Amino acid sequence: MSTETSSRVSPLDLYARMALIRRFEQAAYRAYERNEIEGTVHSSIGQEGVAVGVAFGLRESDRMLSHHRGHGHALAKGVDPRRLMAELFGRATGVSSGKGGSMHATDLSCGFLGSLAVVGSSVPLAVGVGLAARRAGEGAVCAVYFGDGAVNQGIVYESINLASIWSLPVLFVCENNSYAITTPAERVTAGEGIAARAATFGVGTLSVDGQDAQAVREATERLADDARAGRPGLLECHTYRFLGHSRSDPAHGTYRAREEVERWHERDPLTLLRLGAGLAAESCEELEHEAQTRIEDALQFARDSPRPSLEDLEKDVWG
Amino acid sequence: MSPDSEVPYIEAIKAALQDAMRADETIVLLGQDISAGFPFGATRGLAQLFGEERVRDTPISEAATMGCGIGAAMTGTRTVVEVDFAGFLLLGLDQLVNNAAKLRYMSGGQLRVPLVVRVGQGPFGSFAAQHSQSQHAWLAAVPGLALCAPSTAQDAYDLLRWALRAGDPVVFAEDMRLYRRRGPLRRAAREGAEHVGESAPPARLSALDVQEDVPRARVARTGRDATAVCYGFGTTIATQAAAELSAQGIELEVLDLRLLSPLDEAAIGESARHTGRVLCLGDDPLLGGITGTLAAAVEERAHGELSAPVARLGARHVPTPFGSREAFVYPSAESIVRAVHRLVAWPAPAQAQELEIEHGELRMAPG
Repeated sequence: MSTETSSRVSPLDLYARMALIRRFEQAAYRAYERNEIEGTVHSSIGQEGVAVGVAFGLRESDRMLSHHRGHGHALAKGVDPRRLMAELFGRATGVSSGKGGSMHATDLSCGFLGSLAVVGSSVPLAVGVGLAARRAGEGAVCAVYFGDGAVNQGIVYESINLASIWSLPVLFVCENNSYAITTPAERVTAGEGIAARAATFGVGTLSVDGQDAQAVREATERLADDARAGRPGLLECHTYRFLGHSRSDPAHGTYRAREEVERWHERDPLTLLRLGAGLAAESCEELEHEAQTRIEDALQFARDSPRPSLEDLEKDVWG
Repeated sequence: MSPDSEVPYIEAIKAALQDAMRADETIVLLGQDISAGFPFGATRGLAQLFGEERVRDTPISEAATMGCGIGAAMTGTRTVVEVDFAGFLLLGLDQLVNNAAKLRYMSGGQLRVPLVVRVGQGPFGSFAAQHSQSQHAWLAAVPGLALCAPSTAQDAYDLLRWALRAGDPVVFAEDMRLYRRRGPLRRAAREGAEHVGESAPPARLSALDVQEDVPRARVARTGRDATAVCYGFGTTIATQAAAELSAQGIELEVLDLRLLSPLDEAAIGESARHTGRVLCLGDDPLLGGITGTLAAAVEERAHGELSAPVARLGARHVPTPFGSREAFVYPSAESIVRAVHRLVAWPAPAQAQELEIEHGELRMAPG
């Protein structure tokens, strides 16, 4: 089942996409600091291994739903960085016509169904997407992301239960970065964690090192294949965001110790892949350079694009 | 069922579901106990006709059920979510308001959510304050949702068929007091009724880009002296009040809104200008209730042509009480008759104040 994905994925592909996400996030953060981007941005720097591992473990025809920290997920699934950056800039050329912003990018052309900002609220949608896919006989899986902060939302368990009793092609992906904004997961989460909780619903579960993109991809392929065959799954990825939750909190010094952050920096997913897969330094530098060029182009595209007109703002409400 | 036979409102709803499911094989029903048709019978027998793949009993998980309906609807499976009682809708309200109503907008028009949420409204069966509520004003205030409030068996059928062809989410507010009331029903011609059940190949979703006109308000009864602007069960009691008033020589026009969002303000203005005296009738309390919006529409569209200040009649500002006393806190044919008397007798401010004290649900602007 997974040969379609395996055959087209090389470690360099994974590295290139992670580099693109890293550069995108850095550029978006700086643009936000310069007030070019309004609202807020939630950086996924440090979590690229999860985004790329999951997306490359799925088929192109599979669908994906995300949450407020979703830029990396979108880019990994194939969203054009120019149109994603334009969305962050609130421009009419953005993937969501500039009306969704950083937290609500959607691009149906590559199966990225959208990001939702109410924690855990995209999870039941994936169950419905799985239901529709099965009724249409498509064989497509829907992967849905949520964080460790969402594991205490009741709707997550209602959804896992529904997917399980109806044997739907859904892959639940928990990005466990250990903090719900400032609150450490262990302070608010009883018991053995999300994978153990999910297992009691009869779905397949795997916990992996989210900094290891290849491990994430392999686990995704396994669980997605099972989901396609009628057994939904849950993948827990242990990861870390290198920056704060948003701009309002620093990377360390308040709720996270400097030593902890530095320890995780030693497990940077790009470095781990480069060393683990034995990638040549020059090849990686070349990919970094390409990524930087694409992101600069994306920034320029966003800056040059118009904002939605008042007429645009009244479109697509009802009817 | 022969054309034009008299059927209960609840049977008209079932007929609409059945005919729509035949015409559009993507339609799936989700809800608690729906294969058994519990508690009111709206879905009884549909699982036998269409299979459990299309008529799905859900666990008691209202929030996830709503979200599942949204996810299915936005990817090609038109979905009906049944919520028996208004109080339980609140568990799914985050999904309905934050997702169903906003996904099309937030995605720049890429996503469409052809979801219908059937929900019982109003006081019924002595189920007390949590089951029995009126949520029209809340729901009408959400951009991205349409809100139907049908008043007759025929309208229950026609509006539900319309909702099941719409490209965007529709909340179908069924007043539970109407479920057993009978009325004539003519069913639409069956489109593509060849395949039924699980063996049928999945058909295309009804085209979302072919938008039908939104149903307009209808004049349920013509009159020259005053207008009752109403919906749902309100149309029933306004019509009863009109008969009593007619015997007294007062002709009440009954304007049945059918939908509360989009709201047919033009029809409200037209009737208000015609009679010059308007009573806005609602089932929620006056503070923040739908009657405030209706009264504003009357003022904005007919101000110079009104012979009396616009009047409002709604529920008292209390939760629905237990038992048969529930009817006392909602408008009735009797309270409508009294309110129309006040309107027609205007100006008589002292009397109006007296009435306001006696019946807290009635408000008229001071002269």
